[in-house]
Amino acid sequence: MTQFLNYLVLGLTRGSLYALIALGYTLVYGVLQLINFAHSEVFMSGAFGSYLVISAVVGNGKGTSSWEVPFVMLLGVVTGAVTAGAIAWSLERVAYRPLRRRNAPKLAFLISAIGASFFLSQLFGKMFNRFTNNQFPPFFNDNSVAFTIAGAQVRVIQVVDILAALVMMVLLDRLVNKTKLGRSIRAVSEDAPTAALMGIDIDRTISRTFVIGGLLGGAAGFLFGLNFSFFNTMGFLPGVKAFAAAVLGGIGNIRGAMIGGLLLGIVENIIPTLPWVGTEWTDVVAFIVLVLVLMFRPTGILGERLGRAA
Amino acid sequence: MTTADSRALAKRLLACLVGGLVLAVMWGPQEGSQNDYYFELRTSLGFPRVLIFLGIGVVVFLAMTFWPVLRPFLSRPGVWPFLSGLLAVLAGQTLMHWYDPLGDGKFGTVATAVSQTKGISALTSAYFGWLAWTELALVVVLCAVGIALRLRLAAWIGGALAVIAAVLTWYAQHSVVAKGGGIDHSLGWGAVVVGYLVIAFAAGVIALSDAQVATGRAFADRLLGWRPGLPLVIAGVVLGLLAFYVGRWFAPSSTQYNTDFGGLHAVFAPTALASWAMAYLSWAGWVLLPVAVVLAGIAAYLRSRPLAWVAAAVGTLAAIYTLATLYEFSKIAARVAPTFGSTWQNLGTGGWMACGAFLLLGGAGYVAATAESAPQQGSEEAATVSPAAPAQVADEARSRSFLTAPGAARSLVIATIAFALFYPPTATSFWQSVLVSEIGIYVLLAVGLNVVVGWAGLLDLGFIAFFAIGSYTTAYLTNSLPIHPPSWLVLPPLAAIPFAVVICLIAGVLLGAPTLRLRGDYLAIVTLGFGEIIRIIANNADAITNGSRGTAVDPSRGVNNVPHPSIHIGPLHITWGLNQLQYWYLLLVLVVIVVVLFRRLENSRLGRAWAAIREDEVAAQATGMNTFRVKLLAFAIGASTSGLAGVFFGSYIGFFTPDNFVLNNSILVVAYVVFGGMGSLPGAMAGAALLTWLPEFLKNQVPAPDRQMWIGAVVLLMMIFRPAGLLPARRRRIELSADHLEEASSAETIAVPSHVGGAV
Amino acid sequence: MHKGFFTVTAVMATAGAVVLTGCSSGSSGGGGGGLSSPAGSSSCTGGGGLGGGGATSGGASNQSYKIGFQGALSGDNQQLGINEINAVKLAVQQFNAKGGQPFKLSVETSDDAGDAAKAPAAAQQLIQDSAVVGVVGPIFSGPTSATGKAYAAANMALISPSATNEDLTKSGFTTFHRIVPTDGVEGAAAADWLASKFKKVFVVDDTTVYGKGVADVVAAGLKKKGVTVLRQGVPQNTQDYGAIAQKVTSSGAGAMFYGGYDAQAALFAKALTAAGYKGLRMTGNGGKSEVFTKGSGSAGNGWYFSCGCQDATTAPEAKAFKAAYQQAYHTPPSTYSPEGYDATNAMIQAIETAAKSGSVTRQAVEAAVNKLDYKGITTTVKFAPSGEVAQATVNLYEQKNGKIVELGDIKKQK
Repeated sequence: MTQFLNYLVLGLTRGSLYALIALGYTLVYGVLQLINFAHSEVFMSGAFGSYLVISAVVGNGKGTSSWEVPFVMLLGVVTGAVTAGAIAWSLERVAYRPLRRRNAPKLAFLISAIGASFFLSQLFGKMFNRFTNNQFPPFFNDNSVAFTIAGAQVRVIQVVDILAALVMMVLLDRLVNKTKLGRSIRAVSEDAPTAALMGIDIDRTISRTFVIGGLLGGAAGFLFGLNFSFFNTMGFLPGVKAFAAAVLGGIGNIRGAMIGGLLLGIVENIIPTLPWVGTEWTDVVAFIVLVLVLMFRPTGILGERLGRAA
Repeated sequence: MTTADSRALAKRLLACLVGGLVLAVMWGPQEGSQNDYYFELRTSLGFPRVLIFLGIGVVVFLAMTFWPVLRPFLSRPGVWPFLSGLLAVLAGQTLMHWYDPLGDGKFGTVATAVSQTKGISALTSAYFGWLAWTELALVVVLCAVGIALRLRLAAWIGGALAVIAAVLTWYAQHSVVAKGGGIDHSLGWGAVVVGYLVIAFAAGVIALSDAQVATGRAFADRLLGWRPGLPLVIAGVVLGLLAFYVGRWFAPSSTQYNTDFGGLHAVFAPTALASWAMAYLSWAGWVLLPVAVVLAGIAAYLRSRPLAWVAAAVGTLAAIYTLATLYEFSKIAARVAPTFGSTWQNLGTGGWMACGAFLLLGGAGYVAATAESAPQQGSEEAATVSPAAPAQVADEARSRSFLTAPGAARSLVIATIAFALFYPPTATSFWQSVLVSEIGIYVLLAVGLNVVVGWAGLLDLGFIAFFAIGSYTTAYLTNSLPIHPPSWLVLPPLAAIPFAVVICLIAGVLLGAPTLRLRGDYLAIVTLGFGEIIRIIANNADAITNGSRGTAVDPSRGVNNVPHPSIHIGPLHITWGLNQLQYWYLLLVLVVIVVVLFRRLENSRLGRAWAAIREDEVAAQATGMNTFRVKLLAFAIGASTSGLAGVFFGSYIGFFTPDNFVLNNSILVVAYVVFGGMGSLPGAMAGAALLTWLPEFLKNQVPAPDRQMWIGAVVLLMMIFRPAGLLPARRRRIELSADHLEEASSAETIAVPSHVGGAV
Repeated sequence: MHKGFFTVTAVMATAGAVVLTGCSSGSSGGGGGGLSSPAGSSSCTGGGGLGGGGATSGGASNQSYKIGFQGALSGDNQQLGINEINAVKLAVQQFNAKGGQPFKLSVETSDDAGDAAKAPAAAQQLIQDSAVVGVVGPIFSGPTSATGKAYAAANMALISPSATNEDLTKSGFTTFHRIVPTDGVEGAAAADWLASKFKKVFVVDDTTVYGKGVADVVAAGLKKKGVTVLRQGVPQNTQDYGAIAQKVTSSGAGAMFYGGYDAQAALFAKALTAAGYKGLRMTGNGGKSEVFTKGSGSAGNGWYFSCGCQDATTAPEAKAFKAAYQQAYHTPPSTYSPEGYDATNAMIQAIETAAKSGSVTRQAVEAAVNKLDYKGITTTVKFAPSGEVAQATVNLYEQKNGKIVELGDIKKQK
């Protein structure tokens, strides 16, 4: 039981990060019906952006007193989100809008996003470095235990990850369902030409959708870097997984992305630790689960609910 | 100016300046540092340096803002040839190689070397010292003045200077090679010479009045268009003259035995060269070229069908004769002096150019013979393009007259074949290797994926899995894996082709059957997952695939490299070894077979069915079509092509690991197909060739780790400016041009993703 | 048939028109000097009367040769390649800066992306350049397997700083050498040591050629001694090691051996500490670097390393190297940088030997490499006929307080 809880906590941590990234895919898919392949690089830029600020604030991290830690974390989340939001915004301007203007075939968007993804990841590699082991300054003890349930230890950083993800997902849910911007996003997802006729500025709505996805992805980038490490190609694998998570939950569906992310994180952590499956099969298991779910629910767990995107 | 206008201008300026800063970070050798994250930013955005890039940003801003003013100048005659010539000269003088044996061989390096060399002619040292750039500046200024002010005199002088510059370039480079010796395959100087000649031509056009140019152009169009095969004749003549008068025919590593065609006879006279080959060297070669030229020329001009067939036969036979002669004398050379390498080696470019020239001339005859008898086939393209006539832009219409002339498509195919056959032997071993291991294999893969993505409109992100299955099947059947086949099933690599194709076909059906009912993006993620599953299984199943060790020689597990291909049928024995060229020709045969089959498929019932589901699956279903079966077929056919490529890859490389089949490669193949032009066979091939060539070309131009960044930028720009790809399929071209019409009327709806032609 | 050759030569000598250019007749030099034909390309034997080879080409003092480098400069493992090419360039710069050398050197870089499929072209780039007389690399086992034959056919000496797969020296790659011990050597020693202390060991690998290779040897060695072995793999591109760390902890194994590279080992170290694993932790050569030390922080303390290398941090030459590297690239030397430096210096010494004995050709350099005896900062470079470095001792290291210290020969450890 303790073991199971341990893995569950690990799964929830990873899953909430996946969910944050998956939201970026799902939001963009909602308004454009396109997979934003460069979202993984948006995620990565968040980690680098927050690093630049945090390292300037805490230096080598040795002298950070414990009351400062929450503020530094908040700063990291905010700066990561802002950087990634800016990158997502420029991505939309450079790689998507000109193609929309030219009414390009759908796959052209995919390829321009792939081009942008190569470009961004290598540009960041050149700008900063290409090592795979960049770490945030150790401004807090990441082994400190927050509390224990039934013998399973939950560390502070895991609590932070899950809480941050939860808060952001609730905020997003409210934003999409209660605000004017949310209404226009939903309108564009539902029926863009009609929304345009109703006076919604489609370009602006799309642009803002990208930024919202970028903010969430950037926050995830910071948390990811804090948990593990960050580097210029860090986005690829979590990006693929988050895309899978978004599809798992029903792409275009915001709650679906959350559930898909959490589910994928848990599956990845629990199933391979069963005695007869090794951790080297993690990805195989994850993809098989995905295929099985799609076999029985061809539009994901919650189904595609474009438009009513909630 | 309204405030909205000025706000838009300010935004544009800001964007241009930011673009300049990004370029400043991209350009330059500086890498970041892990100790100091701002290090690269500081150096690349350092004070004097950043000004240059901001300046570039401002220039772009000005060009964009004053585009309406500039535009009329650009449409003046001769501007486009001028600019392309200028581009060629600049590329030659900054990017390309001038002299291979020296350092990185670029212009700057050669110039430094020349300045330190004594005893080189004054003209050469002046050329490399200051003349090259000065004359370029002069030519540019004169031509620009000619264009802007319509000053004929300036244009004439500019043109004359350009010709002189071309001659000077040729002279200077050759005196460098004469001085330095060594083997030189550089092309930079050639690009500069050609660039200058183009500029000279442009200057002539600028100087002549519009009316004169129009007449000239009309005449050229008439000549090239109305006489099918004539363009090929002209190309053949040029190539033939170069081959017989300029190219080297024998070029062993010690340069003193180098000779062109004229000297060949003297060299091989005392040897035991077969008399027919000797005849070629002493007189037949000289005679054959004019005969072939005259025959093809007359046949094309008179449109005489019997004569055209004769010309085709003569050209083809002459090419074969040339080839046989090359074989004969290289064999003799190899026999008398093993240091000259083996048969087929140490041949210069001349012999191959001659083969190409004869093939072009023969092809001209063929085009002339067939185009006349069946004019409908040749003008097929013109017929299908015309429905969209109202949307045709003016310049497109102009190029149409040339490209859609009867026989143009065939001429292009023949020229491509000649190039594919006779260019590779003249390339360096590095490029030969790139041609096989990168370009050729990915062209085959792209052709296969084009069926799935381009024709049937299914997004497959796990295509490389079938490539892996093909490779591992080959390894299994050639007894190179830890699990061994029964002894009666141990096959040579090429015999594994049918098995691999069938297994990939089955794998395609197995994957497709449960998943093809899924829609677009769901299919993408499932195929992606499939690709990863195959790779991870190959990586982890040590007992079956030898895991990440791959097919390396591993005595403890009984693993061997996959043997190279070989053919032993009756008297025919061919064994492939380390020579890259052999693989190239094998690959060429495979590609040609696949392309010919697929061409037939495209226009078949099945091809039309694919087009139908791609455009509107519901409507296709409503007509009673079994869309599932049709999609499954596309999937399986694509998969088996990938398997075929896998067989070739496995036995070519001998050693491979699961790392050769990563997800990134699947994504890249999709990118090649879309970049080239979805649904178009030539497009998919061109896209794959270009994007696999580019990184190898960039090797010498930018720091190696940055290559992917530049490729990403190129792909991005390409998609922004040419979303339909390099050589779009005809159907799609029509769709896009029709959509342009709509754009003006309803900008708002266009801002919404349209599903017209959406391939997913 | 030999008679025929003389006829050909004679004809060429008399028919002046045939002879387009002579051998190298200008003053010479590569990147910095004047024009010359590259060494080895012009074997001006026989007639013509234009002089032969470098003997008449204005003295040999300006000769220039290239050292090739084949490695991953793009792709997933590009940083390893960058670490090594930096060291290679540094060694060559230092050589050129010394002055009074009989020849100049430059580096010809060829990127294979760490991918066996791209390796043949990368190798051809170096082989076709006749100024390249020896190659440092290929740095990975995969590309080496795919190109060893081509290099052997070209007589090009290879000194790899980091290709450790055991089978490379058994595959008939006659010109292949490496200055690092194979996976087998250090793995076997590590297994013996672990077996003397523990009854149950958890072996984790990163599913790459290197990591799996070492882990396999360790696991086999342990099993032979009757130790219970638990085996798992974690793909190299994994970022979250939480699950495997949890699994190791709950297995109750007394020790854990990780086969893999430093950056991943560091992440694993942190995850193990977080999961509360108390047993002994150990990895091989690939994990022993400052990347590990820096990345793992305090979690890396108490890790052991088995490495068939000398300590590359204490010797004065090593310190000088570290300083020069930091100076040149604004970043400290990293994984395999010292090995790249040693391999290059060994290659330079071989070229010098070849130059002293007469001509610097690929054959001569290859012969000189086989006879090398060079003391580098990580090892003494002296090759067995198979191409393996003749180094028998495997040392044990431990990270203490953020520093990796040498404990001495692993066989003498308790």
